[in-house]
Amino acid sequence: MQGKREDHGMERFIADLVKSFESGKVDRREFCKTVALAATVYAAGDAANAQATRGFKVIGVNHLSYSCPDYIRAREFFINVFGLESAPGKDNGRQANLMFGPEPGKGGTYILTHNATPSNRPQPEAYIDHFCFTLSNWDETRVRAAIKAKGQEISGGRPGSLHVLDPYSYDIQFANSVEENAFRH
Amino acid sequence: MEGFVAQKLNEFETGKISRRRLIEQLTLAATTLYATGAGAQADTTLKAQLINHISYTCPEFKTAADWYSKVFNLDQVGQSKNDVVLPFGKKGEQPYNVTAKDVPLSHLIVRTPERGQGGPPRAPKPTAQAVIDYISYTVADFNRERARADLAALGVKNVRDGGPRSLRMDDVYGYEVEICGLESSALSDG
Repeated sequence: MQGKREDHGMERFIADLVKSFESGKVDRREFCKTVALAATVYAAGDAANAQATRGFKVIGVNHLSYSCPDYIRAREFFINVFGLESAPGKDNGRQANLMFGPEPGKGGTYILTHNATPSNRPQPEAYIDHFCFTLSNWDETRVRAAIKAKGQEISGGRPGSLHVLDPYSYDIQFANSVEENAFRH
Repeated sequence: MEGFVAQKLNEFETGKISRRRLIEQLTLAATTLYATGAGAQADTTLKAQLINHISYTCPEFKTAADWYSKVFNLDQVGQSKNDVVLPFGKKGEQPYNVTAKDVPLSHLIVRTPERGQGGPPRAPKPTAQAVIDYISYTVADFNRERARADLAALGVKNVRDGGPRSLRMDDVYGYEVEICGLESSALSDG
């Protein structure tokens, strides 16, 4: 019974793949590769299927791709206000990698600031309306004074969790671990 | 500085802060902003430690949250009528390679915009000219070909190569998502 359910799932998967191939969404090479890989997973049996259905283990955010009219303005903002560092050799005049957190390659994160380019991707139905940095050793007065000293204005929030608008009016939040914590509810 | 002092003074005069608090805050601000030397300079520098959270807005938050839970094996906590939180780990865990105890796990907040249900009107935000056009997640034990097969088995659509060491896909609302391993960094190619 279990086998039949899996067979049916594979059949549906391949049928969808064929449809994609026929409509040109998938080329021949990709089609063959995908079927072969699906077959490998299938052949490996329940253990492999169980592995796949568990999903991936997220270590953290690798990078955010930040698209804007002029990446230099954004780059300067993130460096000056939040202490991000431009990765050596990665600023090519159209984009820059702005690092923070653990070391690169050891769990570090970066913001890929880049000039907007035309895209033929369909517009997604979802969007990222803001993101939030954690600041360590939070001192409300010092944080507010530092923001002001950088010529920025607090645009909202509450003690321990504040917002600024960057040069492109994108909402950037910054907070301590007490006010913004996944498990605080 | 003048504006800050005026604001604090106003707070004192209106009874929002005590005299003692006024003095403390003005002293701290003055020594931070006006003192000379490297130590004082460092005080005006904020240093982001990690992404605290990413706020993801979509038509039906539960649909998106279930997709992220399935693909990234994330728990859902603190659900309200409009949003739910998906932490990148379990309660009590430290973020990867972070030793500071006041840096919590990063998390996704998946939300649906509130529909007009009374309450005070909110001031409209200015329209942003920037966009986060995709997010890349570091996943454990990443192997691109194995990951491709795993994503196929999970029913993830439109999986394609990202950089030389990553995969891209569309989430349930067509938002672009990337996965890669630890070796993909700000200093690597792609």
